[in-house]
Amino acid sequence: MGRDIAVLVKASLNPEVVRQGAEGAYDIDYTPLKISDVDRNALEEAARLKSILGGRVYSITVLTWGPSKARDKDLKLAVQEALAKVADEAYVVVDDSIIPGDPIVTSNVIVGVLKSRGLKPALILAGEASVDESTSQVPGRVAAKLGYSYVGYVRRILEVRENSVVVERDVEEYVETLEAPLPAVLSVTQEINEPRPPTLIQIRMASKKPLHVLSLAGIGLNVKPKRLIKEMRVVTVFRKQVVLEEANLEKAAEKLIEYLDKEGVLRI
Amino acid sequence: MKALVVSQRLSDAGELVAVARRFGEPAILAFQESALKVEEVAAYGHRVYRVRSDRPEALYRAAASLYESLNPKVIVGPSVKNVKDAMALLAGSLDIPLITEVVELSDGGSVLTYKRGFMSERVTMTAEVPYPAIALLNPKIVKPAEKAGRGEVVDFDVGDLKVNVVGVRAKELSGVKLEEAEVVVGVGRGFKSREDLNLAFELAKILGAQVGGTRPIATDFKWLPEDAWIGISGKRIAPKLYIAVGVSGAPQHMSGVSGSKVIVAVNKDKSAPIFIQADYGVVADLYKFLPILTSKLREKLPRRA
Ligand SMILES: Cc1cc2nc3c(=O)[nH]c(=O)nc-3n(C[C@H](O)[C@H](O)[C@H](O)COP(=O)(O)OP(=O)(O)OC[C@H]3O[C@@H](n4cnc5c(N)ncnc54)[C@H](O)[C@@H]3O)c2cc1C
Ligand SMILES: Nc1ncnc2c1ncn2[C@@H]1O[C@H](COP(=O)(O)O)[C@@H](O)[C@H]1O
Repeated sequence: MGRDIAVLVKASLNPEVVRQGAEGAYDIDYTPLKISDVDRNALEEAARLKSILGGRVYSITVLTWGPSKARDKDLKLAVQEALAKVADEAYVVVDDSIIPGDPIVTSNVIVGVLKSRGLKPALILAGEASVDESTSQVPGRVAAKLGYSYVGYVRRILEVRENSVVVERDVEEYVETLEAPLPAVLSVTQEINEPRPPTLIQIRMASKKPLHVLSLAGIGLNVKPKRLIKEMRVVTVFRKQVVLEEANLEKAAEKLIEYLDKEGVLRI
Repeated sequence: MKALVVSQRLSDAGELVAVARRFGEPAILAFQESALKVEEVAAYGHRVYRVRSDRPEALYRAAASLYESLNPKVIVGPSVKNVKDAMALLAGSLDIPLITEVVELSDGGSVLTYKRGFMSERVTMTAEVPYPAIALLNPKIVKPAEKAGRGEVVDFDVGDLKVNVVGVRAKELSGVKLEEAEVVVGVGRGFKSREDLNLAFELAKILGAQVGGTRPIATDFKWLPEDAWIGISGKRIAPKLYIAVGVSGAPQHMSGVSGSKVIVAVNKDKSAPIFIQADYGVVADLYKFLPILTSKLREKLPRRA
């Protein structure tokens, strides 16, 4: 078995930027992509484990939202971050025939990249949930397809042994310590580390690293999304947005109390 | 069998059975609490397969084997971590659709039609996927099914697992039901130390409020127990009044408070995203503002002081 690490990095729609289009429809074209937050933690963890495992690190990204031409800049930015942070090379699959993607396509394509390039990582790191879809299923799907062991919601990687990895997994009411045989897929939570942004030198080095842009044909796959999106609507909650910006805080407090009293929410 | 129910708790069984019956006669796969109290699950009148393990891997194997023998059109379960992990493995091995945090589910003829949150629940997505499919539901989206008779209970052995449990540690939980509180004070990283949270606890005392917080306050800093974190991956609350203090207003936090009647934000950064998601915002340093607000409220609501 190899000693390499693969990190799954998604360029997600940024949920901080949600704009309403015509008749309450969600304006997806307006929303920029950004690296999915928790994938930063996966990259940081890969950087920590790289010296322990001693192998190479590569990132794999499948473009989910299109059209691909309009997403090129955002996608490159996310992948550059993976390269700057830790990856020795990056694999990016861009193909309009699988846009918008679904988790079935995404996981098949990730496995397709590994198989077609003959890559056999000891560890595959991913995020616990992507920030746009948050379905927490791509890592488990990849594990099942590859026959790797799988642990989701990893809060800490305690030890990497010759043939196994010891981790803490977060469940709703408890935290369990598990030993999973290698090769393994782990999805990590935000708590696992504090991701540091790449340094300027790392960013400069990134542009010299190999970035492989692949199509579906390029990995010898023929899959299609099974999900048909019928409608996306912005959830509108009306908020009054009254902002008190008083130099005199006594006054601000009095005004706030007056408002809350009028709302009838003070004497509950 | 047309449907398979995966039940973790007695509290989810009734709702899942109700949804599963829309697709035909269900069978039930019971684990964790539902395996311990299997007789109560059997009271819905359907056959119950009991798995005496809480491991996602065990659940995956059991579900895979039942999928082969029963050939269900739909598998339904709760959107909890052990079930999500197990069903991701099953969905991956079969290449069938898996949808999670579903709020509406119906039979669209040759497809399964569903609705779920998207973009931290700021958007709802309606979509369809072909059968067979796995759907994990949010709690309380339907009325629980009526109990009807007594189903047969069959024990299910899953053999040796790949992933070994070395130890289990219970989380420190407060047991406070934030989701039932009428007033909640939410604390964020604007607080600089655990002791400083007293400012929020004092305000809460006057208001008769419970104190919750953002995820990093509970998990990274451990200043609050883990059942006090509010948001998409924590508690969903719907109080009459939610006062967020030193909270930036990240979408993952705000999706947990969208059911609040009135939202108040106290933040020193005028451009914090929380101000456009609040009814009343105060741009101020919480260290200066909270003591003033608390003492003014003490004058106004003397019986709580
Ligand atoms: C998959 C996923 C799931 C998540 N789930 C959740 C979840 O369920 N719940 C959750 O809360 N988060 C969740 N998060 C994390 C979320 O994205 C944010 O990181 C988090 O909510 C930020 O917490 P915060 O507001 O306390 O901290 P920050 O974002 O750091 O905000 C602190 C705020 O305090 C203000 N401040 C600082 N000093 C003062 C002062 N003296 N007086 C007044 N204001 C001050 C600052 O201006 C700032 O706005 C999730 C993230 C991901 C990716
Ligand atoms: N399109 C994608 N490309 C690369 N990795 C992905 C993609 N989608 C999901 N992942 C990985 O799977 C994790 C969980 O995503 P999800 O299953 O969508 O919640 C993400 O944090 C990524 O690590």
